[in-house]
Amino acid sequence: MQNESTVDPKIIEEILKFSRNVIEAPKFVSAPDEINLEVTPHKVVQQIDKTRLLHYKPITSTKHKTPLLISYALINRYHILDIHPEKSWVRNLLEQGFEVYMLDWGTPTSMDKYLDFDDYVNGYLESAVEYIKNQSSTEQISLQGYCTGATIATAYTALHPENVKNYIATAPVIDGWKDTTVISNLAKHMDADKMVETIGNMPPEFMYYCFSVLKPFEQGIEKYVKFFKNIDDKKYVDNFLRVEKWLGDTPPIPGELFKQWIKDIYQENLLIQNKMHVGDELIDLKKIDMPMFTQIAVGDHLVSPECSMPLHYAVGSEDKTLKIYPTGHVGMIASSLSQKKVLPEMGKWLAERS
Amino acid sequence: MSSKPQALTSIGPMRAFAANSKKIAVELIEINENLLGFNQYITEYYKQLSETWGVAQKKVNQKAPKIPQDVEQIEAVKRIWIDIFDNDFTELFDSKKFGENYGNLVSKELELTKHWNNITNVILQSVNLPSKEEVDEVYKEIHSLKKRVSKLELELKKEKRKNAK
Repeated sequence: MQNESTVDPKIIEEILKFSRNVIEAPKFVSAPDEINLEVTPHKVVQQIDKTRLLHYKPITSTKHKTPLLISYALINRYHILDIHPEKSWVRNLLEQGFEVYMLDWGTPTSMDKYLDFDDYVNGYLESAVEYIKNQSSTEQISLQGYCTGATIATAYTALHPENVKNYIATAPVIDGWKDTTVISNLAKHMDADKMVETIGNMPPEFMYYCFSVLKPFEQGIEKYVKFFKNIDDKKYVDNFLRVEKWLGDTPPIPGELFKQWIKDIYQENLLIQNKMHVGDELIDLKKIDMPMFTQIAVGDHLVSPECSMPLHYAVGSEDKTLKIYPTGHVGMIASSLSQKKVLPEMGKWLAERS
Repeated sequence: MSSKPQALTSIGPMRAFAANSKKIAVELIEINENLLGFNQYITEYYKQLSETWGVAQKKVNQKAPKIPQDVEQIEAVKRIWIDIFDNDFTELFDSKKFGENYGNLVSKELELTKHWNNITNVILQSVNLPSKEEVDEVYKEIHSLKKRVSKLELELKKEKRKNAK
């Protein structure tokens, strides 16, 4: 009996607890349809093709004259900026007294495969800006772009600087050659022409593959282990499910837009070299001469800081601020850090210029 | 299939059938050729994944104690496993050899899809339905018209706004 091995009873206890949590999980988990991701009340004020312009209902009296338009990314949907009342980017800005608009790019279908950068920059974004200018009787708006939405917003701001009073670039995709992420490596070796010619729009399934190669073990295993361990924590489960629902819902990207994206940004890196064309117009980043605020996350594994930062140095603005935060791509916009630090700093900067 | 004796027997619509069968047969032959290339790249893809797995597991074995004795040790082993695997796989996904092979793999997959599309087009045309290319032409035309209308509408709005001042 001397050789009998002993097992820490806590290990057995942990295994039993974990098994119980897995079995009981369905009791605590809502079905995806039961989770409402549109937290803050808003109205759809303009609809062009599949895109919608959302106007959020003010929470306090509007303190700042210049309205803010958010150009969300092309991957996943704008809901992450309003994912939960306590972590809502939009709600925080409303509480700070800003008038907030959001551009929802919608869900392109096969028919939209010829939509390109020009349609997004000089069509949808320009129409949204014109609508806001008309409604608010102002000549200029403040524009914020997030991730790939910031690339579109950057192109717009360079082409129409007269319409933009302040520009905020949050994790912008700018310098494809300097991007150190796995996504950029895949993009650099992609035959975008063949892809678009054969399948038209970039399907969500391909996006999901790209997500799966980003920290596959942390995101594919550890995240779910943590979820089952915290199944009794209502708040944790609610947050987890909201983000999961958001992650699992990405629209296709129009073929021509995707092709230009891959070739001009990742393969030939034209934007940062002031050689990229949108429609017939050349984008010159020096023409961005209004106050600019750049937000970068040091742990961003989707858009590396090296890819975003060159924008700060390439623009013509004299009044420009670069902020680097100790968080990730999503943490910068939907976390307690974003509520406590990122948004107050941005709000203060914007309020002084609005 | 479109040789003279066959053409002689293929009168009217059946002649088109013979021509279509030939097109489909050619596509199927090319699919088989592409499959060879596809198999080569997919084998390399899984080889890279399994080699990285093997190396990462060896690293974990060297760092972690053989049998975790308590909850804290299990947690520590798990952490080491995840960190090493994430690190090694990210290194792989970030490498030129993975990027190139993956690019070629997707490219071959697209070629297979293209042949499938070509077969579908032959069938669609045989029942008098528009091919993918013809539908694409319509989409292109609609896109171009919508673009022109949107630009004109936007210009009109701007002009109205200017005049209202």
